This record gives sequence, C-alpha cells and structure tokens, in this order.
Amino acid sequence: MITLVPDAMITLALATVLLPFLGAALIAGAPHRAGKWLCQIFAAATLVVMLDLVFRFAEAGKASTSKALIVFGRTEILGLTVDAISVLIALAVIAIGLLVAVYSAAYLNAGNREHPDTGRPRYYAFLLVFIGAMAGLVFSSTITGQLAFFEITGACSWALIGYYETPKALRSAAKALIITHVASLGLYVAAALLFIDSGTFALSAIAQLTPAHKAAVLLAILVAAWGKSAQLPMHMWLPDAMEAPTPVSAYLHAASMVKVGVYIFARGLMAADGVPHIVGWVGATMAIVTLIYGFFMYLPQVDMKRLLAYSTITQLSYIFLGLSLSVFGSDLAFKGAISHIFNHAFAKTLFFLVAGALSYTAGTRMLPSLRGIITKTPMLGVSFVVAALAIAGVPPFSGFFSKFAIFGGGFEVSQQNLLLLPMLVIALLESVGCFAWFLKWVGYSVPGKPSETMAAASPLPVGMQFVLVALVVMSVCSSFIAASWLG
Amino acid sequence: MVGFQLVNGLAGLLIVTSLLVILARRPGNSARFYALQSFVLVLIFLALAEVSDSHELYLWSASAFVTKVVLVPIIMYRAFSKLDDPKLGSGAIMPPALSVVLAALVVILCFWVVSGVALPAAAAIKPALAVSLAHFFLGLGCIVSQRNILKQVFGYCLMENGSHLTLALLAAKAPELVEVGIATDAIFAVGIMAVLGTKIFLTLHTLDARSLTTLKG
Amino acid sequence: MVSSNLPLLILCGPLAVAALIFLLPRGSSPRCFEFAHLVSISFVLVLSIMIVGQVIDGNQLTAFGDWLYVDALGAVFLMVIGVVGFLTGLYSIGYIRHDLASGALDAGKMKIYYGFFSLFLFTMLLAASSNNIVMMWVAVEATTLGSAFLVGVYGQKSSLEAAWKYVIICTVGVAFGLYGTVLAYANGSDVLGNSRDAILWTTLAAHATSLDPMLAKLSFVFVLIGFGTKAGLFPMHAWLPDAHSEAPSPISALLSGVLLKCALLVIIRYYAITVRAVGPEFPQLLVLILGSLSIIVAAPLFFIQQDLKRKLAYSSIEHIGLIAVGLGLGGPLGVGAALLHTINHSLAKALLFCGAGNVMMKFGTRDLGSVKGLMRVAPVSGLLLMAGALALAGFPPFNVFVSEFLIFVAGLKAGYFWLMLVCALFFTITVAGLIQIVANSVLGKSPATMATGDVGWRPILPMAILLLLVLTMGVAVPQPVSRLLQSATAIVLSDSSSVAIAAPWQEPFSTTPQPDNKKAKPLALATGTPSHTETNP
Repeated sequence: MITLVPDAMITLALATVLLPFLGAALIAGAPHRAGKWLCQIFAAATLVVMLDLVFRFAEAGKASTSKALIVFGRTEILGLTVDAISVLIALAVIAIGLLVAVYSAAYLNAGNREHPDTGRPRYYAFLLVFIGAMAGLVFSSTITGQLAFFEITGACSWALIGYYETPKALRSAAKALIITHVASLGLYVAAALLFIDSGTFALSAIAQLTPAHKAAVLLAILVAAWGKSAQLPMHMWLPDAMEAPTPVSAYLHAASMVKVGVYIFARGLMAADGVPHIVGWVGATMAIVTLIYGFFMYLPQVDMKRLLAYSTITQLSYIFLGLSLSVFGSDLAFKGAISHIFNHAFAKTLFFLVAGALSYTAGTRMLPSLRGIITKTPMLGVSFVVAALAIAGVPPFSGFFSKFAIFGGGFEVSQQNLLLLPMLVIALLESVGCFAWFLKWVGYSVPGKPSETMAAASPLPVGMQFVLVALVVMSVCSSFIAASWLG
Repeated sequence: MVGFQLVNGLAGLLIVTSLLVILARRPGNSARFYALQSFVLVLIFLALAEVSDSHELYLWSASAFVTKVVLVPIIMYRAFSKLDDPKLGSGAIMPPALSVVLAALVVILCFWVVSGVALPAAAAIKPALAVSLAHFFLGLGCIVSQRNILKQVFGYCLMENGSHLTLALLAAKAPELVEVGIATDAIFAVGIMAVLGTKIFLTLHTLDARSLTTLKG
Repeated sequence: MVSSNLPLLILCGPLAVAALIFLLPRGSSPRCFEFAHLVSISFVLVLSIMIVGQVIDGNQLTAFGDWLYVDALGAVFLMVIGVVGFLTGLYSIGYIRHDLASGALDAGKMKIYYGFFSLFLFTMLLAASSNNIVMMWVAVEATTLGSAFLVGVYGQKSSLEAAWKYVIICTVGVAFGLYGTVLAYANGSDVLGNSRDAILWTTLAAHATSLDPMLAKLSFVFVLIGFGTKAGLFPMHAWLPDAHSEAPSPISALLSGVLLKCALLVIIRYYAITVRAVGPEFPQLLVLILGSLSIIVAAPLFFIQQDLKRKLAYSSIEHIGLIAVGLGLGGPLGVGAALLHTINHSLAKALLFCGAGNVMMKFGTRDLGSVKGLMRVAPVSGLLLMAGALALAGFPPFNVFVSEFLIFVAGLKAGYFWLMLVCALFFTITVAGLIQIVANSVLGKSPATMATGDVGWRPILPMAILLLLVLTMGVAVPQPVSRLLQSATAIVLSDSSSVAIAAPWQEPFSTTPQPDNKKAKPLALATGTPSHTETNP
C-alpha cells in the first residue's frame, strides 16, 4: 500500500515535504523560546535538501520522474512528480519560506512598533507546516494529493491570518478559510469526475479523457484555482487577509497560498495533453475581468498592504491569462506564466517585507504618512524602488521578462483567434497603468525630506536587512534563473 | 366465521375504549379505561386463538392479561393518582367532539390503506387489521393533542397495543418469547416514564408539556 | 455460520456488571464502582475485538439458537461500540470524579451512572448482534430506557426536560419501528409459512424476493420513521440536541458516536431486505430524501447555536444525514463510504464531545460566549479539541475527509451532481461553525481569573487515543477494517442470486486485479473501479 523506493530524487522531494512537518511537531513540544530557532533550522535544512534535489535533477538532464506512494488497488491516491516545473516552483516556495522564517524572527518581537509580540510557537509551527504543505502540493502527482495539501494550506492560512486574534483578524481568517474551502469543492468535483472516468486520481489520467470530460475536469480545477488565487468572484478574502502579520502576508500572498491556484491549473493543463479551447476562453475572460477590477481597486488604496493585495490579484490574473493563452497552443505563454509565478513570488515578497519593515520601524504602513524613505533608511528605499519596478515589469527587473513572454505568446496565438487581441490590449493598458501608479507612489514616498513618521523610525534589524538584500538580488536575477531553467 | 366476526366486533370496541382513555379527564380514570381496553385486547387474542387454533396465542393472552390488564394499569394508577395539576384541566387542545370526528376519519383512512394489502391470512380479519392500524395512530394523536405529560404516556400505550394487535392478527404463531419481550419492554417504558414524570412534577410542579421549554433551538 | 459463545458472552459481561453495581450498597467506595466499570468496558472491548477478528476471518457467528448473529455488517458496529464505549468509559472516570468533587453528582447518582453505563452498553450490543427482528426492536427500545436516566442524571430542570423529551419522542418513534417490525415479520411468516424462522433477519433477507412488495414497502417506511427517530434523522430529530446537550459529556459522546449508529444499523438491515424485495429505487429514494433534508436543516441550526454541546448535536444530525445520503446513493461505493463514515464520525465526534467535557470541567459552562482561550489555560485539551474540530470539519489528514470525499465521489458517480454540490455547500457552513469554535473558544484570551493547568491525564488519555485513531483512519484505512467494510457492503447490497447468507463473503468484488509489484489492499475504494458494473439508478 505504501511503498518507499530508493529513487534519490523522489526521496529528496519527499524529504522536503516531511522535514517541515517534523520541525512543526518538534516546535509543538519544545519550550517557547526554541520556536523561532527550530523554525529557521528546519526551514534551512529543507532548503539544503531542496538545493541538493535541484542539482541532482539538473545533472540528470531534467528528466521527469513520477512515483506513486499510496496506492489502493489500481487507484493511485498519493504520489510525487519531480519535473522541471515542480522543482522550480518548489525551490521558490522553500527558499522564500526560509527567508520569511528569518525575517519573522526579527519581526515578531517587542521592538515592533505596530504589533509588539513575542512570537508564539504556534506561529512558527504553522509556518513550517505551510512550507511542507506547499512543497507537498507542488510535488503531488494526484488530484487527491493536491486536494489534501490544498486543504492543509487553507487550515494553516487560517491559523496564521488570525494570529493576532483580534476579532477582525479572526473574521478575516475565517473568511479566507471558508472561501478557499468553497473553492476546494471544485477540486472535489475534479477528483470525483476523474476517478469515475478513469478509476484513478493520477493527474496524468486527464489526458485519456474525452474532450468533454477533460474540459469538465479542467474547469472544475479552474474554479478551485480562482478561489485560492483570489480571482473574481472569490477574491474578497485576500484584501481582508492583510490583517495577518506582515511576514505571513508576504509568504501567503506572494509566494505560496495564492500560487496554489495558478499552480494546480498549470498542472492540470500540463497533464491534459491537448486542452479544449473552452477552458482557455473561460480562463482568459475571467483573468481580464479580474485584471480590470483589480486595477480600479488599487487606485483608492492608501494602506500599503491593501494596495499590494490588489496588485497581487492583478498579477495572478496575468498568470491565469498566460496559462489560458497556452491552451491555444502557445508554449511561450505557458513558460511565461510559470516564470511569472517564480518571479512574482520573489518581487512581491520583497514588496510585502518592505511594508513590514516600515511598520516595524515607523509604526505605520499608511503611504501618505511615509515620505523620504531613502533619506532615512537607504536600504528600505532601494528595496522599495526595486520591488515596485519589478512588479510593474520594468526591465531589467524580473517582472518584465515573464510578462513579455506572456504577451509575446499571446500575440502569437491571437493570429488565429482575433478575439484574444482586445484582451491582450486591455492587459497591456493595465500594465502601463500599473507602472504609472507605482511610479507615483515611488516618487511620493521614496525621495525627499523624511516625513515626521519616517524621521522617528527606528533602525532596521540585521535579520531583516539580510532578507531584503537577498530578495533584491533575486528580483533582478529570478527571471534569468527561470528562463535558463525552463530553456 | 363466527370467530372472525367476534374478532372484528371486539376490535370495534377497542376504538371506543381508546377514545375513553384519551378523553378521560383524570389520569387515574385513564388508567382504569386502559385496563378495560387491555381486557378487550386479551379477549380478542382468545378469540383469535380459538379461530386459528394457535397454541401460542393462548399463552399470549395469559401474559398480556398479567402485564397489560394488571401490572401496567397498577403502575400508572399508583404513580399518577398522586400527581395532579389543577391548573392544567383536561389538557386537551381540542374539544372532545372534534377528537371523536378525527378518530373516525383516522379509522376510515386506515380501512382504505388496509384494503390494499393482499396477504391471504389477512382476508377475513381486514376490519380488525384496519382497527389495529387506526389504534396505533390514535395513540399518536393522543400524544400530539394532549398537553398533560401523563396522557402522553397513555398515548404510547395505545400505540403499543395497536402494534401488538397487528402482530397477533398477521402472525398468530409467533414465538411466545417475542411477545414476552414486547410486553416487558412496555412495562419498563411505562415504569421509566412514570418515574421521570414524577420527578418532573416534583421539580417543576406542573404536568404541562408546554412548560417544558427551557431547551430550545 | 459458526456457532459460538462469544456473542452471548459479550452480552452477559456488561449485564452482570450492571446488576452487580446496582446490588452494591450506596456507601461503597467510589473505587469499587470504578473498578467494576473498568472491568465491564475492558471486557466489552476485548470480546468485541475477538468477535471482529473471527468475522474478518470469514466467519459469521451465531448463538442462542440463531437469535444472535454477527456478520461483517454487525461486526462493524460491534467494533464501534467496543472501541468508543471503552474510550468514553475510560474518560468517564476522570469526568465523574470531577463531578463528584464539584458536587454536581452525589454517591447515589454515581452508582446510577456506572450501573446504567454498563446496561446501556449491553442494550446497544444486543441491538447490534441481534438476528431476531423483534428482539432487535426490543434492544433499540431498551437503549432508550437504559440511557434515559443517564441523560437526566444531573436531576436539574433542564436535564429532566431533556430526558422526558428523549423518552417520549424515542419510544413513540420506536413504536413505529415496532409496527414496521411486525409488518415485516407478518409478511415473512405468511410467505414462508414458517413462523419460527420468519423472525430471523437472515431468513427474511434470504427469501426477500418472495415477500409481498406492498407490505415490504410499508414496513420499510415505518422502520425508517421509527428507527430514524432514534438515529436522529430530520424531521424526527427534535429529541437529539436536548439529550446530547444535557447528558454528561461521555454519555453525549456515546449517544452521538454509538447509539445513533445502532439505530442506523437496524435501518440498514431493513434497507438490505427492502432492496432485495422491491429493488433499490424505493428505499434509496426515501433514505436519500431524509438524509439530504437532515443535512440542509441541521447545518444552519448548527451554525447559530451558542451552546457547544448543542452545536455538536446538530453536527451529529448532519453527519447522520450524510451517512443516509451515502446509503441512498447506493452502489458498493455509496454504501461502503457510508459505513466508513459511520466509523469515522463515531471516532471524531466522541473526541469532540470529550473535548466539550474538558471545557465543562475547566470552565463550568458550555456557553461559547464565556468559553475563551482554552488553549492558554489547558493547552493539551485545547490542542485535542482543535484537532477534533478540524477533523470533523473534514480537513485532511483526518478521517472524516476520506469518507466525506468517498460519498461525494459516489454521488457524482450516481449522477447526483447538484445534490452533492448542495450538500457540500451546507457542509461548508459547518466548517465555518467549527472554525468559529476554534477561533473564539480554543484560541483567544482566557478570562484573567482562570488558573492555568490541564484537566489531568485521566480524561486526556482516552482523547489522545481517539485522536490517534482519527489520524490512522485518515492517513490509510487499515487493511482489516477495509476488508470488513467490503464484506459488510456486500451484505447490504447482494442481489437475490447470491443471497444465501451462509455463503462466504470474501472477495465479493474480486474483479479488481491486484498489482503484483505491491502489496495492494482491496479497499472499499477499489470496488469503484470501472471494471465493476453496478446497478445505480
């Protein structure tokens, strides 16, 4: 029933899933103070294992392997897939997990001006579980595996978003959980349909379905994906989830939770081997609708985190757009979407952590009261600029390359499907608008004489500085890594 | 055939006695009427035993006499005579005349349902079968239409008598132990209801089912 | 069929202990009662495991002139009674000691509690192992009578009220069951011309095809109403929230985890007869309607309750509804998943009711408005309650997820897409409610005056075992259990051609080829592979 095979790659992948869970169990039993150290140690160990996997995988010529772990009869329940895409995304998820763990240790303490707190073990335990569940989701080769880890990330996000336990935070946490749980029904349906038709839960079986059933399964997955990736009409949990501690927002809403949606959709498309166009039309249309909505929603925002939340929604729409375009036959758009998952993870984490650093040092994240950041704390100012440019997609920062690939692929397939053209134009316009809007806030907040709040800011802890530097570097390099990895 | 007519006639009498049980104002009187009704039931059993030549039914009527005519009424009479809630009155939620009309309707309806049953054994005793079904629902009606919690106990007893009669009519040769099991169960049920009813009266000083409303939702 | 003393023995044990406890003088040391109680529950646990072991080996045990009969179906429920009965019984010791110390119970009431606990176990075991349909009814009726005093043991106004409603509604409901039983028996005895054997379920099931269809339908309707009352199906559920909330917590766990399932077993037994007699459409439709209505009605009511145990009671109605839906969907997958959910819900709900008991011990109230921050004052209890809530909400890797998912699959497979979606959405309301419990009562700030410290190991130990079982069943259903479920499903569904009850049930779906490289288990799941054809509406 449960088989462990001596395949090094699979064993390593399994280790990246299990190590964080082990760490979380240890934290639950360890004394209060040990929590943050155990969390960092296990996150680092997971990254080491992951890097080992990356190098072995690259050495072995990036050949995909897949292994069933739990099988009942002929029905594969749980299994792992190691291929170029899963390794790339798992790397981002785990690396950012470590960075967030380090940052959290510096953020959750009495020196925090907005939320003084001691960093209870619960926080670190759930963060580790989250990392493990994300790795599990990324490597899953079955819909049931995806569903299980999907739900675990939902439960963890609830615990983390509600961490401050204010009534508002708890309400937002419950909202995030319920909405994503409703969305998970899509995965239930997809799993059930797949099982009824093929007798297995393995994603690879989607390819054998008839076109109509294939479309049904993929659309069901798409519904689940919309919920997790905060697309209309299941987007409302994300802006509210900004009640979470900022490192959690960074991890959940830049690197992991919201990426679950786009990732399972991408996996479904990859496994399908020829996708009915209806899936592409539905996906692209909803992506554009969400894109327009998200853009208009971030205009009135003054809370930096809420602004980032809406920006995240629109960036995810780009990824959905890229994936949907790939349905029409553009490999470039698919690669663009995957690298956008990777790039956006680093850039948006950076942006969130800048917001966190501002609340830590200055005690607020309201943009109007933050001016002259670069004069007071040059490090933060630079990070702010890099993050904004990377998100807006300005070369040479990472966002440019992946967006470029998505648009390039899109224009390529719009030759055959002229209806796609207006969609792409709208997306391009949004891109320009987004650039202008971020430029406005950069111009307002970064240069000049520090405002009263900024002038009184405390110095930035070392841990945070280290994390910010690492992310700034990645915001430039990530697209090159992704491009060379995906070939 | 005379035996079957006797059975059917006695079954009609059963309906009358059960109406008396339902409509009696005091629980003590209900207990007396219940004893009377059970006696009619025993007579039906005897008649059936004679007709169908069933050895088991003779035993049944003996044990039913002990449990239903003697034990259960005594338990109820002793337990319920002490409990009196003058405020409650008869506790019925509708006038007696309406109850009788409704009872008649139930009987007619049951005749109609039973006419659909095609079992050969039931052919001669269809009226009695209909009465037994009606009796069951009369008991249910008693529980629904009475606010006095003690009357609800009688309602249960009527239901139980109804199903007992059905059993006797349809399966006269059932093992004796079955009947003993049902009868003992009924005694225990009545006993426990009597204990609980007494406790409720001692704690709440009322027998009105409407006052049992602490728990809601 | 193998004649065996075990079914008789397992019944005699708790009955003898109950008699002993009632005979002991009131002034005896509480330790005497506790010891007798422990003997009784351990005895039941050990014997139920032995019986289940024999059944898994492919035997059907009979005793007492075929009046007692344990097949795979009965064994599933015997196992639930044995395990959950033992664990809640173990939990009772710490809980009752606490109640004695706090003055909520006195020595006389404690005697009543332990005496009726064993008696209650006896009646449930009798219901699960009975082959004589009238005795089955007697046993279910006796479960009401045996547990009525347990529900009202605190003797307060509200607990008496709950006990009264419980007794009246259930006895009246079960009177319908008696009528249904009588009809089934009369039907059988008339058709078979053998009044002695027609009383046995095995005989009725074996000759179900020759039964009068009209009477069989009528009998099933009465049985469904009657035993459905006891199982807590809407609209006959009115007694359930009151009884569950007013009873001592271990009894609530036993009521919800085991008693409801015993009534369900009786319904399943008649379901099996009716499926054979009139085909699957009629019983399936009835059960499906009642089940879905139970879910739809109970979920919102669950959400608005402020009383922790009342909340859990409504969740029980909802889960019973889900089991009924699984039965109503039919097919090996639907029935198998329903049986699996029976086990899973028992374990998870027992865990949660015990958790509610810890809340009672710590806070002295069940009002969710005043229970705050359990995690801070009693971390282990808090963790267990939280895990239980997540399990019941259907999150992986807990067991409820597995069976809920299987029922969902069965529903889609049977073509009830919209119904399953509606059920799933209503279950999301439950998730919201459970999350609220955890967010507001387990987490949050505890009252400043509350001393930190858990409730002691005695109540914690059985809960930890329950959690372990919940997790085990969630990660991978153990092979013996899945085998048992598979045979049980076959008993419920087998068509007239293979209805000879004496035939061995092993591998009824052996159409599933086993992969040779792995030690694959023929789980209930495997029965749903496309190679298997089934008779769905």
